[in-house]
Amino acid sequence: MGTRDAKEARLLGAGEEIDLEIDGEKVKATSGRSLYDVLSGMGKIIPAMCYHYTFTPFGSCGMCLVEVEGKKAPVRSCTASVQSGMIVRTETPPLKEAQKKALIKHLSTHPLDCPVCDADGHCELQDFTFQFGIGEVPNVKQKGIPEDTRSIVLDFNMNRCITCGECINICKEVQLVDALTFMKKDGFTIVTAKEDKTLYCEFCGDCLAVCPVGAITNKFSKYLYKPWQMKKTQTTCPYCGDGCPITVETKDNRIVRVTSRLSWKAKWGDRADTAKGHGGICGRGRFGFEMVNSPNRLKLPLVRKNGDLVETHWLDTQDLVAERLTKIKMDHGGQAIAGLISARCTNEDIYLFQKFMRIGLGTNQIDGTARYGHMNVVMALRKAFGTDRIRMMNNSEQVTKADAIFIIGSDITETHPVFNLRVKEALRKHKAKVIVADPITTHIAKLATHPLAIKPGSEPRLIQGLVKIILDRGLCDEAVLQKYPLAVEALQQATAGITIETVADETGIPVERLGEAAEILAKAERGVILFEDGITKRKDGYQNVLNLVDLALVSGLFEKDGSGLNALCEENNELGLVDMGGASEFLPGGFDYQNAEARAKISKDWREELPSPPQAEPSADLARILDRARKGEIKALYIVGENPVGTLPASMGAAEALSKVDLVIVQDPFLTETGRLAHVVLPATTYAEKEGSFTSMEGKVNPVRMAIEPIGESKPDWEIFSELAWRMGFPLEYGSAKEIHREIAKTIPGYFTTKPEPLPIRLSGYLNNGYAKEAFARYDLKPSNGSADYPFTLVLGQILYHSGKYSTQAEGLMKIYDKALLQIGPADAERLGVAAGDKVVLKSPMAAVEVGIEIQPALPSGLVFFPEHFNTPPVKDLIAAEIDSVTRVIYHKRGPVAIMKGAS
Amino acid sequence: MKRERSLIQKILMLEIVRAMWVVFRHLFVKGVTFQYPHVKRTLPDTHRGALALLRYDDGVERCVGCDLCEAACPSRCIKVVSEQVPGKPLVRWAPEFYIDMTKCVFCGFCVEACPVNALGMTKLYEYSTENKRDLYFDKKKLYEIGGTYFADAKAYLVAHRQEQADETAMQYRYKFPFPVLTEKKE
Repeated sequence: MGTRDAKEARLLGAGEEIDLEIDGEKVKATSGRSLYDVLSGMGKIIPAMCYHYTFTPFGSCGMCLVEVEGKKAPVRSCTASVQSGMIVRTETPPLKEAQKKALIKHLSTHPLDCPVCDADGHCELQDFTFQFGIGEVPNVKQKGIPEDTRSIVLDFNMNRCITCGECINICKEVQLVDALTFMKKDGFTIVTAKEDKTLYCEFCGDCLAVCPVGAITNKFSKYLYKPWQMKKTQTTCPYCGDGCPITVETKDNRIVRVTSRLSWKAKWGDRADTAKGHGGICGRGRFGFEMVNSPNRLKLPLVRKNGDLVETHWLDTQDLVAERLTKIKMDHGGQAIAGLISARCTNEDIYLFQKFMRIGLGTNQIDGTARYGHMNVVMALRKAFGTDRIRMMNNSEQVTKADAIFIIGSDITETHPVFNLRVKEALRKHKAKVIVADPITTHIAKLATHPLAIKPGSEPRLIQGLVKIILDRGLCDEAVLQKYPLAVEALQQATAGITIETVADETGIPVERLGEAAEILAKAERGVILFEDGITKRKDGYQNVLNLVDLALVSGLFEKDGSGLNALCEENNELGLVDMGGASEFLPGGFDYQNAEARAKISKDWREELPSPPQAEPSADLARILDRARKGEIKALYIVGENPVGTLPASMGAAEALSKVDLVIVQDPFLTETGRLAHVVLPATTYAEKEGSFTSMEGKVNPVRMAIEPIGESKPDWEIFSELAWRMGFPLEYGSAKEIHREIAKTIPGYFTTKPEPLPIRLSGYLNNGYAKEAFARYDLKPSNGSADYPFTLVLGQILYHSGKYSTQAEGLMKIYDKALLQIGPADAERLGVAAGDKVVLKSPMAAVEVGIEIQPALPSGLVFFPEHFNTPPVKDLIAAEIDSVTRVIYHKRGPVAIMKGAS
Repeated sequence: MKRERSLIQKILMLEIVRAMWVVFRHLFVKGVTFQYPHVKRTLPDTHRGALALLRYDDGVERCVGCDLCEAACPSRCIKVVSEQVPGKPLVRWAPEFYIDMTKCVFCGFCVEACPVNALGMTKLYEYSTENKRDLYFDKKKLYEIGGTYFADAKAYLVAHRQEQADETAMQYRYKFPFPVLTEKKE
């Protein structure tokens, strides 16, 4: 490692400045940098097939030749480093000859199957063959290697391979996965999965993107296209909060493949720029596109007639919905109408929805996906920071360059595969200290410098313990001590009741290692805390986030540049949902709905009165909406993209509540569990068929562009609202999403930016108003008394290949992963006497479910995991949902269960 | 300048006699026009008539669905839909193939672009119809023409030196890399 580290440091430009001469031009460069980097930085394009700026130069293709004075033979510029006084020539006839020879060597074993090759027209070897004008190649030989089609995603045709090693290098150095390797077979070097097994990796597809020839092909779009036939649309990935830019390539109104900026064509770049992202996407982004053209898409509105959902035309359906909604509004008032909206919708859709509900239907009973956990972050950080709109404090570049990263309650590799690369780059390139507190030995925990394998459920204790250690050992940041002495004192009092030994005991981490972690965090120059559903989607999520604020405060993360507290978002537009007012507590712009001034401003903008906030119940959240529906107080429920029946455990009684509602309208691209219970189902479009924007968890507002025409007669969500509103007599007339976009820009000035400014943080309001009392209550943790009858903790969570239930409609992702199996640790499996493939019965006070199992070595004893994406078997029903007393978040992702060996 | 005619010439109307002589003489000259459609003209092998899709002698479709004809077509009248042959994971073919003959300019670029000589131009030119939609040739129709006018298409390819006259068509056949490494079912 040692030499490689030094080499990488040099590549990044950590050296003294030297002078050299390139083609008669005097150039300054940092010593140790690759000559190729310097040449490409000057704008000179030297042919190279194995070079990519995201990894260390490999030097296998032999094309990037230059003449260096004093050297007899031409030099490979990528692996050569610049030296003082070097005289370099890049364009001489002998060089061209040498490059031509190198090219002919590659061509002599390359098959002439361009007509059937998917890379035809997007092939570096082909381009160079034309450029160098090569017609005849002597001594041609065929490799005759059978094509490796064993993997479920990628086909390896090693006859076409030029052994450039780009795929192996990107897998090893950027992804830190190291799934591919070179192997000698029948006298030829081939690329294969480690140990020549069937490839089963993260399937990020970066190897596919960088392959300069057609040696690695994508099974899902193989032979369906030629690169020149595709219409390319730059848009944003619809899966997680990372908000990666993707290119959707379509042919005949069908998505053929999804690509990203990462490609062998974009090989030139600044090595330091990878901190902003390497341009790649993850497996679900790249291979999860089939859901758009899925045969399960709704093509016409469905209306319930005599108990069945019948396909009906738009005009009839719209008239019916408008008429019935108007009648309900007239008879029962706005209080009888409620709406739910998903964070998968664009900002424009969410904005128009809440406007439609608030001024059209006169109700403030709106809620959305954020209520499943993100609301904890929003409420806690709004309170602490005194800011209206909450986003990550640090951008990806700052995370990459942090020297200490503390990840808690997040399996970042599975939930945010691309953002996870920033942490990996921090680890690899910038030698950051990474602390991962997770009961599960996750992929990032394996790589981390300081993995803390805490006991399941002890995350709150760990946070408090770290605060305690920092305060006790006098590690607290000086600036914080001076600025907020009272708050620090309050924290000292609050943590007085905790001893480090109890924390060590409860978390299962020795005192020294806790101390080490606390020290790293407190002494970090640029410390970053990342957290997610392990904190927010469990009991007391709101308090946990506030505890994390304490930890960030005492370790001085609010005072140092490039440091901060960052909540990751599971769904693509959770931030946008809250910012657009897709929750009853908030107005567009993140203003409090109770705030009379903000309400007056919005009312003035909309030229319409907003419904007055109810005094008794300040928010109409999902749980309350369901409650009121059960009591028969809700007469109409408009559900956009949400699926409460399929998401919430049966004990929440969503299905029962819906049956009491007179008019349930579900607007979704697919017929969901909730849709099956609805009276009217309106077909909406997916991200690929509409215009708009998604707000990423960093606060960047990324554009969503229309790649194909809407499937069937589906319509973008905003269009459906607009037309309904027009029919109901309160015109929300918009010609396009762009017009809504403009209105949002007016309502929330400066919202649409791809370079968000640092989050303004004003802690004083929070720390000076009753903080001591509140902190004292927060640190008084009652030990959770686990029931002896239900010794296991069941966790429902995300896996790498899926995102919500949306992605289960993508055929390709289902081919990669469709195992609705309970994951169990090897120790527990042995104790229970079960093996992979057996069935067990999961029991909880709520229900009993039979489910197949899978042994997952990463899981500790006492914890079982089930992918939340699958509803058969109905494992979600085992969990007794709990509702947070402050934020009204419904906790339904973990609960105690008992496991019994089932009949096999 | 007007030439004066003599009185005798005027009386005898010699022009008519001369003209009739020409007519009379043509009774014995071989005719230039021929009685289409009863008689048809012999066309050269390079004639660019209706396009056809061809098969190898063993009946296998030559087309591998490479889309190159579509790319070469200047009037954009060709549409190829390609995919894998179901059950044969590596073989590419075109399940659908369309040529819009109303747009075709008979330039022959597609035939030239085809790497496996699957397209040929026949001497067929009589496909006028009352319904314009019939001129949107689909794969079935193109193979039908290819079957009936195979000799024409072959002659066209030979004349353009894309294929030899003897039984060498198979040498243009694309060999898919077999066998395939597949996962063993456990």
